[in-house]
Amino acid sequence: MLAGGLSLGAGLAAPPVRAEASGAKPEILTLVVNGDRVRLEVDVRASLLDTLRDRLRLTGTKKGCDQGACGACTVLLDGRRVLSCLTLAVMHEGSEVTTVEGLAEGDRLHPVQRAFVDHDGFQCGFCTSGQIMSAVGLLAERPRVTAAEIPELMSGNLCRCAAYSNIRDAIEAAAHLSREGE
Amino acid sequence: MAIGRPLSRVEARDKVTGAARYTADTRLPGMVYAALMSSAVSAGRVRAIDTARAEAAPGVLAVITHLNRPQWHSTPAALRYVETRFPLADEHIHHHGQYLAVVVAGTREQAAHAAGLVAVDYETRPAVPTLDAALPDAHQPVWRFEPEFPTLLALGDPEARLAAADVRLDLEYRTPYNSHAPMEPNATLAHWDGGSLTVHETSQQVHLDRPVIAGALGLPPDRVRVVSTLVGGAFGNKTAVWAHTLLAAVAARQVGRPVQLVVTRKQVFTCHGHQPPIIQRLRVGANRDGTLQAITHHTVNGTPVLFDRPEAAISPTGTVYALRSVGVRVEVAGMHMPAPATMRTPGDGPGMFAVGSALDEMAYALELDPIELRRRNHLAVHPLLGRPWSGKQLLECYDVGAERFGWERRAPRPRMMRDGADWVGFGMSSAQRLEHHAAARAAVEIRDDGSAEVRTAAPEIGTGNLTTLTQIAADGTGIAPSQVDIRSGDTTLPESAPTSGSRTTGSTGTAVHLAALRARQAAARLAVADPRSPLHGLPAERVGAARGRLYDVDVPRRGETYRDLLRRNGRRSIVEQGFHDPAGADPRFAYATFGAHFTEVRIDDTLRRVRVTRHVGVFAVGRVLNPKTARNQAQGGIIYALGGALMEDLATDPVTGRFIAPALTDYHVPVNADVGDIDVSFVEEPDYNAHPLGAKGLGEVVAVGVHASIANAVYHAIGIRVRDLPITPDKLLRP
Ligand code: FES
Ligand code: FES
Repeated sequence: MLAGGLSLGAGLAAPPVRAEASGAKPEILTLVVNGDRVRLEVDVRASLLDTLRDRLRLTGTKKGCDQGACGACTVLLDGRRVLSCLTLAVMHEGSEVTTVEGLAEGDRLHPVQRAFVDHDGFQCGFCTSGQIMSAVGLLAERPRVTAAEIPELMSGNLCRCAAYSNIRDAIEAAAHLSREGE
Repeated sequence: MAIGRPLSRVEARDKVTGAARYTADTRLPGMVYAALMSSAVSAGRVRAIDTARAEAAPGVLAVITHLNRPQWHSTPAALRYVETRFPLADEHIHHHGQYLAVVVAGTREQAAHAAGLVAVDYETRPAVPTLDAALPDAHQPVWRFEPEFPTLLALGDPEARLAAADVRLDLEYRTPYNSHAPMEPNATLAHWDGGSLTVHETSQQVHLDRPVIAGALGLPPDRVRVVSTLVGGAFGNKTAVWAHTLLAAVAARQVGRPVQLVVTRKQVFTCHGHQPPIIQRLRVGANRDGTLQAITHHTVNGTPVLFDRPEAAISPTGTVYALRSVGVRVEVAGMHMPAPATMRTPGDGPGMFAVGSALDEMAYALELDPIELRRRNHLAVHPLLGRPWSGKQLLECYDVGAERFGWERRAPRPRMMRDGADWVGFGMSSAQRLEHHAAARAAVEIRDDGSAEVRTAAPEIGTGNLTTLTQIAADGTGIAPSQVDIRSGDTTLPESAPTSGSRTTGSTGTAVHLAALRARQAAARLAVADPRSPLHGLPAERVGAARGRLYDVDVPRRGETYRDLLRRNGRRSIVEQGFHDPAGADPRFAYATFGAHFTEVRIDDTLRRVRVTRHVGVFAVGRVLNPKTARNQAQGGIIYALGGALMEDLATDPVTGRFIAPALTDYHVPVNADVGDIDVSFVEEPDYNAHPLGAKGLGEVVAVGVHASIANAVYHAIGIRVRDLPITPDKLLRP
């Protein structure tokens, strides 16, 4: 239950809490994050998103809503794009996670990152990690994606600055590049 | 020249690699987490609040309520605080979502869990839930601070003129609660060092926040530092100090550790500003020859029960078209609503929806082309001030827009354009936004390695100001933009204009420009006075600067680099300040930015869903500093308003006034698939009367007039006039 309590009726007492739900008993978890194997103790209530951000200090992945509605928290989990706010870290023992920090090779940007820079695919940048991870996932799913398909397939990622036209152009350019590279 | 070039954003690399650091990304040793507990009722009183279970929960360090909060100092009114009541002031509840407790714990999960354990016994009172219910209370607002616009005004004799006009229209327009909904939730990291406080805050205006925070906590302002480097979108909701900031600061003092408080998305919707619901009544009179005779504009907007906050929807009314007489009346009506905040585009957004729609209705009544009606009522002079506009290319915007859009293909009457299952409609509107100024300061330093640094507090909220200010400094000093660093978003830096109200380019940009020129001139003076310099003995005015080098403008070969000059003279750097004084604007002129919107909609005959398939926006904002970031911002502004026109509505419960679904799942903002082809161009004519750089604000004008342009296109497509936003399919389900 999130802070805020608006979903509770007026005057209702809070629901009873079981001991393990109060976070007293952490779990040990192993993840492979951006190629590195990490072992850590996690609160069973911790989302994958909060675990990446608070525990592994990988703050590139953003929290826009914590409700699965904005896409800012998109990461690749075992190669598939997922909303990391909607899944608990403890559910993913042994999984491979790729975040936006894991895309570039040293100084060399991933083609999708490069395309976002060239096409100005953002303004404030807060949705950008999610957009980029989603685009990387999309191109892996559908290397031959067409320009006309991109808007629908990217509509799980909100951009309130509304850099949408540039986001499309960037993904189209990256798709071209990776097809040429084949 | 760096200005005018489509440079990529200076922080682009950080933003695509995840290295860009926003407020909630900042970590400090020993940092703990706070969560806020919000009221479940809209009006009433906390009869009792039980924090025992929250306090006993694992990891909890403090639970603060109105019963045990530390003393607030000063008063909200003295500090221009966003509300008239500091957080946790007392047991009274004035709106749903009002914060009742803050919980601090060792981890985020522990804090959130414990906040849910705070139990409140409410005494509930009936709420004024909606604007309609509040209408009996409609009254002329009492300004909390100095008046910003007239709330009652009659020029000429509007009643007589209306009565005498050939055609009269009497129309009511409505706009609902709209939310800024920036992707970044508001957040604070507060940390004390002895008696000094540092606040990392999601803020558009660090220097304006500082005295509010300091005053509420009883500190001298110089003991408070506010840091806001990158902001994840704002649109006005970060132009105020909100409750969470003050609560994070007192929590951090109480637990003696840095406290991070990130509000939930639900709380962003409730307690961090919105545009209130507005009802606008417009009466317009025109003669058969197409000349507007009179307009009256009466608005009522919802306001919190505790204070009056008028929304300036009347701001375009008297200044956009030539009119013999104008009457405006602004009223507010008290509701149990959280505090509103300025939202892109304050006043002009909803106001131009009404004015731009009414003009369209008048064009049909007169059987005139909507552009032609606007041309016949074009204004070269600000009618209230009697001064000419410093630069107004609105007629060119109509021409360019009509051409790019293909306006000549428009059928003269509604329901005449069909493509398969779709009705097709064309609409247009003009855009106008008065150019606002604010005092701004900046420093520019030229360093002995040939690079430069700009320092000014303006946070980067996505508008591209880090890049444009860098370009301005580059041209002012004659140093390549890649060699210019910028530091911003910190009260330890020179005070900029706030990053809001489209003030950055004109005000902060001018300060950077002046600082850069002065730094270059100081270097030139050093060179001409230095017998070892090739420029020795020249009059300083004959010294130019380019590519990091000072040179003789008559003999460009003659010169030397900044680096050589500074090193030889043993100077690490040259630093100069620039100050933009808003009082210095030329009083012979009036200042504004202009534009024209053209929209094509397609409406499926069965589903009645409106899609904007094409939109053309043409803007006259003086000189465009960076076409790449400007185009992006303009497209974004159009889409932002498209959301307000077609989908955004923070729906309320008709009994309690609570927001029914304050979440991005239900408050729909445009997604990628909602956006058709958005064509942006500029009628670029530098306006040197407005600012020395010839550039004016951009971020707001681009969103003005879009609502009307879309509503007008919808009418043209199917002959149904929607006067209450958003234009959802249910409003079009008529044959
Ligand atoms: S933060 Fe996960 S979808 Fe919004
Ligand atoms: S760039 Fe600001 S939300 Fe997408």
